[in-house]
Formats: sequence, C-alpha cells, structure tokens
Amino acid sequence: MSAVIQPGKAEFSAQVAGPTGSRLAIARFSRNRLAVVGLAVVVFFVLFCFLGPLVYHTDQLHTALSEANQGPSGSHLLGTDAVGHDELGRLMYGGKVSLIVGLAAGLLATVIGTVWGAVAGYVGGWVDAVMMRVVDAGIAIPALFILLVISAISTPDTFALVIILGFVSWLVPSRLIRAETLSLKNRDYVLTLRAIGGSHTRAITRHVLPNSVSTIVVAATFQVADAILLVAYVSYLGLGVQPPATDWGGMLSAGLTAVYSGRWWLILPSGLAVILVVCAFNAIGDGLRDVFDVRGR
Amino acid sequence: MTAIPPVMAQDTTAPLRDEASGAPILDVDDLVVTFSTESGPVEAVRGLSLEVRPGETLALVGESGSGKSTVALAAMGLLSGNALVQGRVCVGGTNVVTASDPVLRHLRGSTASMVFQEPGTALDPLTRVGAQIAEVIRNHRDVSSAVARTETIDLLRRVGIPDPESRVRAFPFQLSGGQCQRVVIAMAIANEPRLLIADEPTTALDVTVQAEILELLRRLAVDSGTGVLLVTHNMGVVADFADRVAVMYRGEIVETGSVEDVLLAPRHEYTKRLLAAVPRLKTAADYPAVTGRAQDVVPRDTDTDSVIALNDVAVRFGRGPSAVNALDTVSFAVRAGETVGLVGESGSGKSTAARVALGLIAPTSGTVSLFGQNLRKSGVRARRRLQAGIGVVLQDPVASLDARMSVGEIIAEPLRVHRRSMSRHDRERLVGETLEAVRLPAAIAGRAPRELSGGQRQRVSLARALVLRPRLLVADEPTSALDVSVQKAVLEVIGELQSELGFACLFVSHDLAVVQDFCTRVVVLRSGRIEEKGLTGETLVRPTTDYTRRLLAAVPVPDPIVQRRRREDRLAALAAGETTAGE
Amino acid sequence: MTTSLYLLRRLLQAVAVIFIVTVVVFGLLHSLPGGPARGILGAQATAQQIEQFNSEQGLTKPLYVQYFLYLGHLLHGDLGISYTYNESITQLIVERLPKTLVLTILQAVIALVIAIPLGMWQAAKRNHPVDYIATTVSFVAYSAPVFFLGLVLIIVFSQTIPLFPSQAPNGATLASVFANPAALVLPIATGAASMIAVFSRYMRSSTLENLSEDYVRTARAGGGSGGQILRRHVFRNSLTPVVAMLGYYVPVLFGGALVIEQLFNYPGMGLLFWNAAQSSDFPVLLGCVLVISVATVVGTLIADILQSVIDPRVKAGRT
Repeated sequence: MSAVIQPGKAEFSAQVAGPTGSRLAIARFSRNRLAVVGLAVVVFFVLFCFLGPLVYHTDQLHTALSEANQGPSGSHLLGTDAVGHDELGRLMYGGKVSLIVGLAAGLLATVIGTVWGAVAGYVGGWVDAVMMRVVDAGIAIPALFILLVISAISTPDTFALVIILGFVSWLVPSRLIRAETLSLKNRDYVLTLRAIGGSHTRAITRHVLPNSVSTIVVAATFQVADAILLVAYVSYLGLGVQPPATDWGGMLSAGLTAVYSGRWWLILPSGLAVILVVCAFNAIGDGLRDVFDVRGR
Repeated sequence: MTAIPPVMAQDTTAPLRDEASGAPILDVDDLVVTFSTESGPVEAVRGLSLEVRPGETLALVGESGSGKSTVALAAMGLLSGNALVQGRVCVGGTNVVTASDPVLRHLRGSTASMVFQEPGTALDPLTRVGAQIAEVIRNHRDVSSAVARTETIDLLRRVGIPDPESRVRAFPFQLSGGQCQRVVIAMAIANEPRLLIADEPTTALDVTVQAEILELLRRLAVDSGTGVLLVTHNMGVVADFADRVAVMYRGEIVETGSVEDVLLAPRHEYTKRLLAAVPRLKTAADYPAVTGRAQDVVPRDTDTDSVIALNDVAVRFGRGPSAVNALDTVSFAVRAGETVGLVGESGSGKSTAARVALGLIAPTSGTVSLFGQNLRKSGVRARRRLQAGIGVVLQDPVASLDARMSVGEIIAEPLRVHRRSMSRHDRERLVGETLEAVRLPAAIAGRAPRELSGGQRQRVSLARALVLRPRLLVADEPTSALDVSVQKAVLEVIGELQSELGFACLFVSHDLAVVQDFCTRVVVLRSGRIEEKGLTGETLVRPTTDYTRRLLAAVPVPDPIVQRRRREDRLAALAAGETTAGE
Repeated sequence: MTTSLYLLRRLLQAVAVIFIVTVVVFGLLHSLPGGPARGILGAQATAQQIEQFNSEQGLTKPLYVQYFLYLGHLLHGDLGISYTYNESITQLIVERLPKTLVLTILQAVIALVIAIPLGMWQAAKRNHPVDYIATTVSFVAYSAPVFFLGLVLIIVFSQTIPLFPSQAPNGATLASVFANPAALVLPIATGAASMIAVFSRYMRSSTLENLSEDYVRTARAGGGSGGQILRRHVFRNSLTPVVAMLGYYVPVLFGGALVIEQLFNYPGMGLLFWNAAQSSDFPVLLGCVLVISVATVVGTLIADILQSVIDPRVKAGRT
C-alpha cells in the first residue's frame, strides 16, 4: 500500500488478526453453557438409544406376563410394564423411534418452510401476500386439533406420521425464512449483481441461500425440538405406533393410568427423557443463534 | 465589539475568551482506555491529556479508530462495561473515573451534557419528545410537571423548532433528522450545563441542516458561556466552530493549538497529511473563471452519443394521496468518457435516479436509454448484454461485498455472468490485473471481506465494477462512508483508471467539494426535480438558482478565516429575508 | 395511515385468512374416506343410506357449488348436527366455547403478568446465577408435554399434598365454572407454565436488545438511573415485539386447552373435541376446528390492535 494512505491506517477493520471463522464460532458456542450441556445430552441419548441395546439386552417383542408390573429391581433396572417388557430397554427402544421420527419431521418441516418462505420473500408482491395468508390460516388451526382429526380417520404408519408432522409444522419456519429472504434480496451485493445483468437464479443460489444458512440451521434445530415434543403428544392422541413397537410418547400414555396406582416408573423415565432431549435441542438452538447472531424467535 | 445592525446575527468568533480564564471545566490527564474484546484487549486511548475552559470550544479531530468518541464517552462515564479506564478525567472538579454512580448521575445532564451522532435512534421511539425533555429537567430539579412543560416548550423554541406548543406532543418518528437533533440538544441544555460534549453532532445530517445546527450550538454556547468539546472528523466543521483544536491519531494527541494555527500552519506530519486530503470547496472568490477539471478525458469511442440518458423520468412510490414523487420530469445524459455528478440533499432523489439508471427501479413514466437502447423495450438477453457494460459501486463497504465469498470470487462474479466460457486461469489473471489497477496486492484475492478495511473493501467493489472494462461506472456515494484520507486515495484511483480505460462515470454524492473536484458536469436535484445542471466549473461556482447558492454557502471550508467570512455572508443572506428550509 | 385505515386493512386480512380456513375445513370434510356422507352418517352407514344422503344433500353437485352452499350454511350459523349428541353443533359450541375462553384467558393473563416482569428482571441480571436458574426452569417447562406437566402437578399437589382437586368444576352453565375456584388452579397452572416459559424468554431477549439501543445512552446522559430508564423507556419498547408474538401463541393456547380439558375433565370445547374424536363424530370435529380457527384469527387481530396502541409507529406503517 502506498504512502498516500498512511493516515488511513488508523481506520478500524473488523477482526483483522483474529481467529478464523470456525474457531470463533466454536468459542462463541462454548460460552453458552446451557448449549454445551444440551449438546452433551443429545450425544448421550443418541448413544443410549442406539448403542444401549447392544449392552443391555432385553426382549421388546414377546410379552412375559409373569414379570408384569414389577418395580425397579436388580434384574429390571427400571421395572416392567403391564405386559412384562423391561422399562429401561423400552426406553432405549422407544427412544430410537422418537428421535428418528422427530429428526425427520423437524427436517421436513424446515425444508418445506424454507422453500415456501424463500419463494414468498423473493418474489414479493401479491404472490407473497397470498402465500403468507395461507401460512396465517395454517397457523390459525392448532396442530393438535388437526392431529386429533387425523387420528379419528386412521392410524398412519411411521412414514406417514413423519409426513403429517412435517406438514403441520412448516408454518413457523416459513415466516422466519421469508423475513430473512426479504432482507437479503435488498442487500447491496444482490442489487449490484442484478444491475450488471445477473439473473435471479444466480442471485438466489449464490447469495440469498448461502447467507440464509445460519437462519435455516437455527430454525431447523428448534423444529427438531418441537417435532420430538409433538411426537410425544401423538400417542396420547391415538396416532402413535402400534405395540409392541413404542416411542416415548407411547410409553407415557400407556403409563398414565398406572400413575394413580403409584407405578411411577412407567412414566417418569420416559417423561424425563422427552423433557431432556427437547430441552437439549432448544438449548443448542439458542447457542447456535448466539453464534450466528440471528434475530427472531 | 463593532456596532451591529439589530437584524444581523452577532459576530461570535471572539467571544468570552477573556472570561475563559479560571479552572478548566474539563480536565483530562493521562487518560488510558482499554477495551476487552473477543480477540483480546484493544487500547483505544493511550495517555491522552487535554482541557476545555469555560466559554471555549475545543475540537477533537481524528479519523475512525482514533479514539475520539471514546474520549467523549469517558468524559461522561458512559463507556460500556468492557472498558478499563485509567487516568483522571475531571468535569467541574469531579473525577469521573473514580466517581460513584449517584455522583455521576448528578453530573450527567446538569453539569455536563452530551449530544450524539445519530439523531434518529437517540430518542425513545415510544415516548413523546416533550416528555423526554421534561424528564431530563426533573431528573435534576424538583419542579412540578406543569413548570417542566412550560420550560420544555421554551427549550423547543430556543432550539428552533417551529410551533413548539404542538410539537411537544410529537413522537420522534414524526420529526426529521434535524429536528430530532434539535430535541436532543434541547435535552442537553435543559439544565444549563457548564460542559457540552458533542460527538459528531452533524455527521448524519444534510449540509444545510448541519449549518443550522452548528449555528445553534455556537449561539447556545456563547449565550451561556458553556465549554464545548466537539468531536468530529470534518475539518470544515472545525473551522466553523472551534476555538482550539486537538488532533488525535491512534489514541494519542499529535497536535494541539488554536484553530488558525492548526488548520493554517500545521506542524505534525499527520495533521498536514490529513488537511491535504480534505476536499476543499472552491468558491467564486478563488477562481475568477474556472472550468472544472484541468483536462477533459479523451473518450475512447469516436461517437459522442450518450452512454446513458434519462428522458423525462418520473418515479412514483405508493398510490393515492400518500404517494411520493421520488422523481419528477428528470432528464439528463452522460456522454462517453465524461463524469457527471448527481448532487442533492437527502430526499432529493439522487439515489433513486441512480437506481433508475441501473434498471433496478422501473420509471413510472419516461425512458431510460443505455448505450442508445431503451432498456425497457429490450428483451432479456439484449438487456443483459447492455448491462455488461456497466460497473456499480455503492456506498456501504460492508453490505457491498458478500461476506461468504472470497475477494477473488467477488471480483470474478461479473466474469461468470457475462464470460462463462472464460477459463479459470484467464479469470484469475484478469482478477489479478484488476486488483493491481486498483492498487491492491494480488494476494488479497484469497482473503475474506471481513479481513479488509473500509477503503480496501471499496476498492474491491471498484475492481468488481471494472473487471469487464465497462463503458459506464455508476457510483452511488462510493466514498461517503470512508475516512477523508482513504477517500482521497479511492477517488484518485477512480480518476486514474478513468483516464486509462476511458469509461464514463455517473457519480452520486452529497459532498459538493468532492463533486467539484471530480466531475465535469453536475446535476443538482431537489425534491425529485432538477434544480439546475451544467458544467461543474459554472454551476457549482456561480450557480443560477437560490437553492444551489444556499447549498454551496452552507458547506464549511477548512480555513477558519475564510469560513468566518462565509458564515457572516450566509447569515446576512438569511436575515435578508430568504426563506430557509424551515425545519 | 389513520387508525381506522389500519384496522380496516387488518380486518380484511383476517377475513381472507378465515376464508382460507373454510376452504381447508371444506377440503378435509370432502377428503374423508367415504365422503362427507360417511362422516355425517357414521361408520355404520349402508351404501343405500349414503346414496340417499348424497342426493338429498346435493353432494352430487360440482364441488365449488357445494362450497358455496357450505359457506351459506356457515353464515347462517349452521354447523350441522352432531350424531353422537344429537344436537345442533352450534348449540354445543355456544355452550362450551365460553368455558374454554375463560380458561385460556385466565391462563394468558396470569402467565403474562408473571412472565413479563420476570423476563425484564432476567435481562437486568444477565448471566447472574439466578438468570441461569430461571432460564433452565423455563427451558424445562417449555420442553415438557402439557399432559405430563399436568400429571406431575396432579400427583404433587393433588395426591401427595392434597391441596387442589384434580377435577375441574363440571357444571353446565358458565357461572358454575367459578363455583370452586380451587379446582381451577391446577388446570390454569398447567397451561400457564409453558406460556410463562416462552414469554419470559421473549421478554428477556427483547429487553436485552433494547438495553444496547442508543436511546438508553441518551437517557443515561441526561442523568437517569438504571431502574428509571428500565421502567420508563426500555419496558415499553421491549413489550412491542412480545405483544406481536401473542397473536401467534393463541393457537398454542387452544391446542393446550385440548389436552388440559381432557386431563382435568373440564367441560369446554377441548373436551367436546376430544370426545368427538374418540367417536369419529366428524361434523363436530370440523365444526370445532372452524370455530377455534376463527377464534385464533380474532385473537391475533386483538393482539395486533394492542400492538398498535402501544406502538404508534405501527399505524404509520413504520416500525
């Protein structure tokens, strides 16, 4: 740089000699203690549900009525349920379903919401107005109500359940992505691209989408949290998987009646598991939001 | 004091300097401020000492990052929690550094007050302005709300807000930027402070509004013998307002002295360089018959048809009674190789005109022709080919570059749009050449925008604009967000490249001195209409309309003696009955 | 934009949304296996009965004609007949909706009265241990399924420490709801818990954002104390985005009411809906969905109006 600009050396330049982007991100995330704990919890449960059964063998298919309704003991660490299944094993087994369905439904909701919101935000005008009124209408109908109506019609299999949950939850992320898209499409670098003849396609794929990634990731994390929670409701509402398969929500509803007779081991572990995992994903989402400095929600 | 006709404003340049004896109202001794940031401790102020006496104005000048705002905030004890302050800062005898919270609260708003840079966000958007002023009054004096209200209305009148009785109930969003700043000033003087700190009080305002606000501040300071610490980067403002000047560079004061000494006979290298970089407005007095730039650029093309022309363009936003006419019957053209400046205050429509020229906004009526073709009538492919001949540089160095791309990718983007068949090797070579042309090292191509300074970013933006060797460069306030020395460098680069490559330039700016220097012709816009246009040497030196004359008169010149005369002339012209843009 | 113009625009938007909801509900009605006939006559209907029903009800006419007939019915307040209760659905809803509204409004008011000051206080004491505790508790309350929360509350406060009854008051009239206030405590607490968690977080983050705004610095420069600035300036500015979120929380409240009413046996719309689902009484189900959605849209409208009262910029179209 020539001598002419020496006085300008005093000008402030952001993070000139700082750590690289990803190291800074990890540092920022670690500062949020709850988020770190959340990450640990999620990792724990994934290992618990998927690797646990390899260590702690139980029979989740056949009933053993002779062992039914026993409290926690040496042979059954968390007791047994009404048909004799080991509760701890059931917790692992059900966890697999809860986590997979929750993750899939959450991601599906994010994908649908992102596409809808991005189109509405980028195209703008009356298209945006109509698309957002549809979203408003969808939000106006409580998800639990729709799910209950569906339960009255039929009992869907796991795959259909993921689709249904996804379609019930995509509304909220669509609004977030729309707001992000609106703001991004008016950034100077997008305007510059359009002015020199760049196409809309290029603007979206090279600029708008990559810069929305942080918002999408944060939204996805919260969606997964919401989806896992919704899965827990689903069995309560009569939409759940059929026995002997189960998920945490199923364990909860099966054990509800038993609670009054004091058999706490039937609902406390599954209830706590749901709370911990949902909590964990929410905390991670919170931490990611700090890292990316994302507004909203 | 000479006898002055009652209508004219008082000469206020040699005021109570005789009374400016006694203890300084602000006494800073060896101030050190260290900020703890994510990337480690940053020393913003290193061992700084200065003093402000009652009745005098000390200007603290520096570029961004010099630490001047930090000093101002430290004087009020308003630095954020991550700042470590050492040294002594005495305001009216109280050491702010060691004072307790209640003592500071007692001091702020009564002994010392502050006016900030951004008037738009300085006020609580949900509280009426009268209530906010009354709050400052009642923070320090035990008066009834009725008395506070009367005083508030009085203050609003003093700061020049028309119709104060009804404005008292206005919300900040209902006021203009200049009016909001007047409200902030009213809050600052409500309790007759002995020290007034003004941190870039007029930077966010139009030049005519700036002149009015400065005049207001001077009058208030003189009337009440208040000491003023004026923090600014604008040498013209310094020449207009200050008695003494302290120049800051990298957290230290490099030169102090009276305003005449420092501005007219600077001693320190940095001060000299800084002053040399300040664009100076030439007036009729300087040049009896000047015609803009020394040589006109020889255009590359032999045809002298316009590169871009707006014909009778009107742009209307919204519908019905609340519609806004951003542009109304605007016609101008830019010929090959020449530079045309679009000037005006905020709301004049100059940015809208630039966007219409770029095809980003469709005009409600009228035509835009780019390289002789009507943009709207051309098909998509034809349009794109035409647009390959344009380069764009916008104002905000941060928002102009996509933070997720490397510098090289950013500059290469136009190549990817219009020269898809170009090999990677050729692309990289062209990017390297363009970087060199804008005086940046070729190695910078691998860096990310966040690693660059503002001036570097604007030059990357320029490189992107020029990589296709366009015939037209549209620059919308390309240097307004940069320090004055960096501005000079960037403008030099644009000028050199223009001589070399021969492109035409449409240059939008609010800075008349820069436009005078840089553009051959100028178009003056006012509220969406063309006020006047012509050669820079004529229009901006001997304007034909009152508005342009007033605009030029309001621009402060960094020479205190000249500026004093200009101010007197301007006030005389105002008093002689011309209407102001009555804010 | 004047107040009335703003209200008109919001009203029109609300009407548009309600239209879309009717289309959705209509679509659901006609996508049931066996068509609306089966939906209305029940699973036991014979093919003959269905055919007769179809021609009587004009179900052989084109779909959009049926939609307009449906709209016509709606505008007359006719939602059809429930075949399990053998009563007009409108009548059923008129009986039960007010009770649900009482429950949800009480939940909302109590939750907001606690959450808003809590959120502000958390922001003022950021990163203090108490902030962490409150945040953690909020996360837990927000992450627990409502029925689980309710169950835990019942076990703790109704069985282990018999303080409150586990059954809500069951009378037919609205007044009977208040006959035994103690019986309302657990249902309301269950619903309010997650709302408190959500809104205290919103308020906390909104307050934190506002604390770093310029106007706070101006107020401090004028000699204001921290508490004074918080109360007089930060509070109202932080409230605005939170009130905006209220509108979107209304459907969550109603969804929660569904579960809570079932758990505590509270005779509101939620319980009606639940029972109808168990017996596949589709007319009731869809009628309820419609009414609840309309209630949600109205709730959102009210929240918006509230926002325009707090924030005069909304009416002017600039926030």
